[in-house]
Amino acid sequence: DESLFVYDCSSAEKQPLGEKGQDGKGTDKGSDDILAFAFSPSGDYFALTDDNKRLILFRTKPSWECVSVRFVNRRCTSLVITAAEDKIFVADKSGDVYSYSITEPQADGKLELGHVSLLLDVALSADDRYILTADRDEKIRVSLTKAPYSIVSYCMGHREFVSKILVIPNCPDLLLSASGDSTLRLWEYKSGEEVHCCQLSTICGPQATKPDQKFTVSRITYCCQGGYVAILCDSIPTVYIFQLDATARQLVYKEQISLKHKGWDIAFEEMGDLWILQEDKEAPLLLYRACDGQWKAVTDDKGLQKMSKYIQDNWTVFEGFVGAESYYSHLYKASFDNMDEYLQRKEERLQQQKKKKQDLQHASSGQAKKKMKAEEPSL
Amino acid sequence: MAAEEEEAAAPPQKRFYRQRAHSNPLADHTLSYPSRPQDMDWAALFPSFFPPDAAPGTAPARVEFVDVGCGYGGLLVALAERFPQTLAVGLELRGKVAAFTRARIRALRAARPGAYGNVACVRANAMKHLPHFFRRAQLSKLFLLFPDPHFKRTKHKWRIVSPAMLAEYGYVLRPGGLVYTVTDVPELHQWMLRHFGEHPLFEALPPAQLAAEPLLPLLPSVTEEGQRARRAGRAPNSAVFRRRPDPPAAAP
Repeated sequence: DESLFVYDCSSAEKQPLGEKGQDGKGTDKGSDDILAFAFSPSGDYFALTDDNKRLILFRTKPSWECVSVRFVNRRCTSLVITAAEDKIFVADKSGDVYSYSITEPQADGKLELGHVSLLLDVALSADDRYILTADRDEKIRVSLTKAPYSIVSYCMGHREFVSKILVIPNCPDLLLSASGDSTLRLWEYKSGEEVHCCQLSTICGPQATKPDQKFTVSRITYCCQGGYVAILCDSIPTVYIFQLDATARQLVYKEQISLKHKGWDIAFEEMGDLWILQEDKEAPLLLYRACDGQWKAVTDDKGLQKMSKYIQDNWTVFEGFVGAESYYSHLYKASFDNMDEYLQRKEERLQQQKKKKQDLQHASSGQAKKKMKAEEPSL
Repeated sequence: MAAEEEEAAAPPQKRFYRQRAHSNPLADHTLSYPSRPQDMDWAALFPSFFPPDAAPGTAPARVEFVDVGCGYGGLLVALAERFPQTLAVGLELRGKVAAFTRARIRALRAARPGAYGNVACVRANAMKHLPHFFRRAQLSKLFLLFPDPHFKRTKHKWRIVSPAMLAEYGYVLRPGGLVYTVTDVPELHQWMLRHFGEHPLFEALPPAQLAAEPLLPLLPSVTEEGQRARRAGRAPNSAVFRRRPDPPAAAP
């Protein structure tokens, strides 16, 4: 089927007015912007959530159709569909994960687990046994999918929010994570043990536009064929490519693809072709292929030409995101505290007390001074 | 901190440590906490349990008791006297209160060398940092004494007992480990009973064991909060919950 499927969220069912959210507040008006989406592992299902707090489920075969429109409690940041294709797990801004049935596409969501912090990503192990959640603090939590109240481990080590997590499909014990601390890390996630840490600033540093440049990974894509990992960093027009050495359990930096425009998204095809979506109407899509270990742009691909034309014909959909602000910059901790000031004052007080004590000791030997003290008027 | 060390001999005075009773547990406080449990310098807090001449290969001492929101340290002092060989740490978010409790423990250690070496206080946010300090199944006792009631419905997510927090308590407690709760707010007591009762990892201690629990009669009166409640004539409600075994396949 060659025709393009277009679904306009602005025409989808809206949450009835007056209905109150879980927090007791009235529903605030959101936009139709899509906040998160995911395919099921087989590609048979696709789900998205938008700023209007809708969760929309699609079936993709034999042809695309909308299965259901449901409403979530809070705005969602990430979602994932089980390998069994029976559930969607949705992570939200208040730190909760809800599950929504696919077999009962109208059923309400069920609270599965919660963090005391905004969630940024949710992932499942390939066999659906473990559910992994990444939060705006430094934590990655690993829980049993069937008993999510039971925490198997925490993967601790990141120093800022964890922006992306990915269970390596052909190394099912390994988790790849990225954070606002400009690192990529590999974990033996069932035990929570960090097996490799990759400092992006040392690898990507020379290209940095400013000395304190942060490498906040906004997208990760993985290709089982060759174990390639491609990443995109927030506000940096470059795609960095690594290769996973599964035996040594580490990432080896390969090369980078410089873009003329801001990168929006990246995706590997099964056989290793890399798609790049960028902020440019003239050339919104790029296709790269590995040739003797070098990634080269492909321009004469029929699929690329067809997809580029689809995007250009529907550019109004993308236009709104041109020049959009960084999604991650506000997630860095703006800490406030007066403890240092307090401890400094306390130090001064202790010094004063010490001095007073010493003065008194001196005074006890000198009668005149003592007399003067006694004559001080009491208030 | 030179002067703080010299202050050790004298017990701290409350008037220098005044602070509001509430602190926002969801805010980004400037706290220092380890990135991972193995990075925590416990020897600095419990020097007498980490002798420099320890035989190589001996397992380092580990904290087993945690007082969440330890306040002015009344429970820690009582634990030091009853369990002198078990490391107990109090977590307190309010900076000045934590500083008071640290000064109090320093003064007690100085007054009776050899005693109080097993208790310490850390300024930390228990709602965010438990997995930073403690490993899975490390703890045997967790105390939640007179927690902030957060009466307003919008503040219920600040409560120290919630489904999300119970999963974390279940993570740091070993199967069979105990959680002790005391509050003078009946509504909060019901809230805690309900949440622990509904959580698959916890069960109320059976009445026979509850009656034999030696710490229980002590808890309402050892803390400042408890003494204040008693003076005001508010009756404390206590409860003890036990960490149940892991569900199958939860252990790594």
